Amino acid sequence: MSLSSTANHPTLNARRMDGVLDWAQMLSGVGLIAFMWAHMLLVGSVLLSPAIMNDIAEFFEKSGMAQVGGPLIFLLFMAHFVLAARKIPFRLENQKTIWEHAKLLHHADTWLWVVQASTAMVILIMGAIHMWAVLSDLPIVALKCAETLQKNKWWLAFYLLLAPLVHVHLGIGLYRIAVKWGFAGRAERKGLKRFVNVLILVSVGISVLTLFRFWFMEA
Amino acid sequence: MARSLKFNIFRYNPQDSESTPHMESFVLEETDSMTLFIALNRIREEQDPSLQFDFCCRAGICGSCGMVINGRPGLACHTKTKDLPADITLLPLPVFQLVGDLSVDTGSWFRELYDTVESWIHTKKVFDPAAPEERMEDEVAESIYELDRCIECGCCIAACGTARMRPDFLGAAGINKVGRFLIDPRDERTEQDYYEIIGTDMGIFGCMGLLACEDVCPKHMPLQNQLGFLRRKMGITALKNFFGK
Amino acid sequence: MQTIYTDVLVIGAGLAGERAAIEAAQAGFSAICLSLVPSRRSHSSAAMGGMQAALGNCAKGDGDCPDVHFSDTVKGSDWGCDQEVARMFADNAPIEMRRLAHWGVPWGRVVPGKGSYFKGGKLYDKEEKEENRGLINSRDFGGTAKWRTCYVSDGTGHSVLYTVDNVCAKLGVEVHDKTEAISLIHDGATCFGAVARCLRTGELRVYLAKASVIATGGFGRIYPGTTNAVICDGGGHITALNTGIVPMGNMEAVQFHPTGIVPTEILVTEGCRGDGGTLLDVNEERFMHVYEPEKQELASRDVVARWMTHHIRQGKGVKSPYGDHLWLDIRHLGEKHITGKLREVYEICTSFLGVDPIHQLIPVRPTHHYSMGGVRTNKDGAAYGLGGLFSVGEAACWDMHGFNRLGGNSLAETVVAGGIVGKKIAEFLQGAEVTFNSAVIDAEVKKQQERIQNVIRCKAGTENVYKVRAAMQDALFKGANIFRTKEGLTECIATLQETLARARKVGLKSNGLGVNPELSAALKIEGQVKMALMLSCGALNRTESRGSHNREDFPARNDRDWLSRTLAYWKSETDDLPTLKYEAATQVFHIPPGDRGYGKSEIIKADAKAESKGE
Ligand SMILES: Cc1cc2nc3c(=O)[nH]c(=O)nc-3n(C[C@H](O)[C@H](O)[C@H](O)COP(=O)(O)OP(=O)(O)OC[C@H]3O[C@@H](n4cnc5c(N)ncnc54)[C@H](O)[C@@H]3O)c2cc1C
Ligand code: HEM
Ligand code: SF4
Ligand code: SF4
Ligand code: FES
Repeated sequence: MSLSSTANHPTLNARRMDGVLDWAQMLSGVGLIAFMWAHMLLVGSVLLSPAIMNDIAEFFEKSGMAQVGGPLIFLLFMAHFVLAARKIPFRLENQKTIWEHAKLLHHADTWLWVVQASTAMVILIMGAIHMWAVLSDLPIVALKCAETLQKNKWWLAFYLLLAPLVHVHLGIGLYRIAVKWGFAGRAERKGLKRFVNVLILVSVGISVLTLFRFWFMEA
Repeated sequence: MARSLKFNIFRYNPQDSESTPHMESFVLEETDSMTLFIALNRIREEQDPSLQFDFCCRAGICGSCGMVINGRPGLACHTKTKDLPADITLLPLPVFQLVGDLSVDTGSWFRELYDTVESWIHTKKVFDPAAPEERMEDEVAESIYELDRCIECGCCIAACGTARMRPDFLGAAGINKVGRFLIDPRDERTEQDYYEIIGTDMGIFGCMGLLACEDVCPKHMPLQNQLGFLRRKMGITALKNFFGK
Repeated sequence: MQTIYTDVLVIGAGLAGERAAIEAAQAGFSAICLSLVPSRRSHSSAAMGGMQAALGNCAKGDGDCPDVHFSDTVKGSDWGCDQEVARMFADNAPIEMRRLAHWGVPWGRVVPGKGSYFKGGKLYDKEEKEENRGLINSRDFGGTAKWRTCYVSDGTGHSVLYTVDNVCAKLGVEVHDKTEAISLIHDGATCFGAVARCLRTGELRVYLAKASVIATGGFGRIYPGTTNAVICDGGGHITALNTGIVPMGNMEAVQFHPTGIVPTEILVTEGCRGDGGTLLDVNEERFMHVYEPEKQELASRDVVARWMTHHIRQGKGVKSPYGDHLWLDIRHLGEKHITGKLREVYEICTSFLGVDPIHQLIPVRPTHHYSMGGVRTNKDGAAYGLGGLFSVGEAACWDMHGFNRLGGNSLAETVVAGGIVGKKIAEFLQGAEVTFNSAVIDAEVKKQQERIQNVIRCKAGTENVYKVRAAMQDALFKGANIFRTKEGLTECIATLQETLARARKVGLKSNGLGVNPELSAALKIEGQVKMALMLSCGALNRTESRGSHNREDFPARNDRDWLSRTLAYWKSETDDLPTLKYEAATQVFHIPPGDRGYGKSEIIKADAKAESKGE
């Protein structure tokens, strides 16, 4: 008998983009992580001294990186949104399904994803406001930030909310990239989770300290 | 000493115009070594003979008895009541077509999958009854078997958030099936052929890495590793195709 | 009513059914398999051990050939088999294993070099040859002269069934799962197909075919405890016996396994005892050394099973909500051994019993395992009595197993017989012209519809199907178990006749709408009791002990009077007993009846002087 034949599926070009888009989604996420860490360290440097933060900020502005890089990051941010949004259930029916699914399943990783998708939406709005606010009011100086915060308590609340959300979203994103792409296998999964938990705690800690540093900074 | 167990079971018979989906409770005395297989059969034989559910091998090898047990998809036949609280809620697996009560149609779902992924060895060689078999390293055979062990119970599909939102998603079991042929030296399909099948959001790129599949699989199939491996492999093929043209 | 036409209708999508369907499909015919469950859930998937074929690739299989395999099979059958059939089987088995390899089965392969193996708790050395590297490997199984059992890790049946089902998918062999055949359509001479009930909706469907095949596997579920799946309920056999003209062969030939766990009767391997495990009774005392001072726990399968049953009957069993049982004790083997070499046993105990065999006793009792008997066919797989009807696999009495099948031979039979019978079906179809007689079809459909309505409306009575089923199982368990006596069987038959009367009065408690499981059970119960009667009447008549049929009152194998096969007919629907006929066990003797070389040895030779024949 002859058992021949090869796979011959109709090729849809649109479908063939899925893999590339998946890369782009991952890379945009990684790019944002890199940026966020840099950002955290930059702003966090105020903990050491406001002068250091000012110097770093000045460097970025003088070299034009803030003016050019800022909008680029904003673009990356939007690109990441567009890419990741392919996976967010926007239809009510799907939202209901995934919500019920998560409630039923008692499964940590499924909840992680729900948390990631919902933090995403908040970050989208708040992040955009933040970027617009900062980039439309260059230069970045520690004192000015402190003033802004102190003048309007809402800004403090705004950042106290945004920072943890970003770090949680980022941490989960990191974890999920590692398991999705197999950088962490079955054996590493537990350790990775613990690492990400610590990472989130430390990052949130730094961010909150930074905010309070601004809050108590003498004008 | 024996506990009295309360089973809350999803009831609905689509063939009965008077039936509506609802939960029904049954109470049973727990006995030694009681499994859900024993409990459900007793409920059927002693309390409600119309109760529908599926068992076959009752030894955890055929994959018939997947259901949602206190929230988690699992095999009912190897679930001991001893390991559950006294309140036990049983639901049919989601994603699959409901037949009635706890019984779902996994057969049609998987049959369609075989056609989609062409789950057979593709070769131009013709079998020669007079010739000795082609040789294969035992290690290779074992690694194929490792991926061939899936019993198609559907638990990973039912636990998968992606599968619940997208009906065309192949699920971990489907993607793993492709992996099984991909590593089989007898299958002459190329990476490109496999890419055509799973290199999409219906396949590996649709997977969001929630790993519920890995966590519920009663056979402990290496799904996480397999999904990661295939995403990298297919990801590379995607880039090759993208930049190659 | 939906009517579906096909060239071949295969009732059963296990290994045997699918393998036969493939052969027909490759010859260009359309084939549909029916199955109660998705094909891959068929019970073939539960066979872990392996399939026998004389490939002779591994060191301990060196020098093996189909002749040796044939001789092992005939001895195993206690000369009850059809030797022509056993010959065909042994010759074709190696080819079939290679074909499966070509199709994709990941057989365990030979790894050259030195190694060691356990036998009776002792360690031995062996060395695999370099020249055999990568060829199909084999493992050891009971009752064979060589290591001959091809395997895929601990999932042979699973892997082979998945592979064969893949080939079906490829060739377009349709599988209609969740479909139950409930009767054959025939005019007394030719079979035209079957009436089936859809287990998705409960509706009836008609399948019309030029050739129909019964490949529905075993019927262990007529016993209360069996290693068989819950779907091995004899539904396919019932369709055949209800024709009144198709006989069942050797229904009394039933194999028991000593160690099924209690409850759920899942099999735990003989390796437990082989490695030094012991059997204990209610007082947690050993007893096998009393009955068998020599071999003790290590006596052969049927002997151990027999004494265990005896001991339980003496009141030494452990009482449990699931009936009396004994204990298997492997605690003294130690954690390392139990979680290593006996890992499978460890897993079964922990996941199904919640028993930790390192510290606790395992509840076991002898359990029904395999049915040698079934739909009697000739060597082409054609059923006696009806044209266009075939049977293959465990459902059939083709008859290569006689009164005892060897481990690893039944799984191999499914594919080897599937291939041979499938070819014969294709040949049969080549010239076949069939005119479907619509009157016959309509009459059969009407009959089934009425039967269903009668059960739902409790026309004949309100007997509870589950109680009737339990009564039947109990009767067989008591009377037609591992060892049998005239008294026991006579009582069993009397009880079964009462049970048959009750079975005819079954009515539903529930409304019977849709895929009602109570209705499914009710439609089968009368046929099941009839099978139970065929089994026990055959056993009562057979006044000898052969293979797994052990008559305490007739302990000798009697080749003079009983070198024969029982053919059981249910001539008329309203009969209360089967009609038994006999035929010679085999037309051709390659190996004349002799000593098996194991088990008991008392034999009444074929040429011994005649005394008065039994019953
Ligand atoms: C626990 C266990 C372990 C075993 N291990 C081994 C081993 O290691 N080696 C070995 O050689 N043998 C072994 N055997 C025996 C062997 O597995 C079986 O004899 C063999 O698999 C039977 O295959 P089959 O194709 O005839 O039937 P099955 O695989 O049982 O298939 C029967 C098919 O018929 C269908 N069916 C049944 N009734 C109907 C109906 N009314 N209408 C429609 N469809 C129907 C079912 O759905 C199924 O598809 C074992 C058996 C058991 C119980
Ligand atoms: C500071 C900003 C952000 C950072 C650092 C960040 C980081 C990440 C990372 C690393 C991932 C994992 C990527 C992957 O799985 O491939 C991810 C996923 C995701 N992000 Fe963001 N992100 C940010 C902002 C946003 C915004 C504004 C949205 C808006 C909607 C968003 C939506 C999502 C979603 C839905 C996912 C999940 C995608 C999936 O499941 O595959 N993120 N993010
Ligand atoms: S991968 Fe696991 S959970 Fe999924 S179908 Fe297979 S055995 Fe079931
Ligand atoms: S890892 Fe992928 S396949 Fe598995 S449950 Fe998550 S989304 Fe589904
Ligand atoms: S019944 Fe077969 S896996 Fe549960």
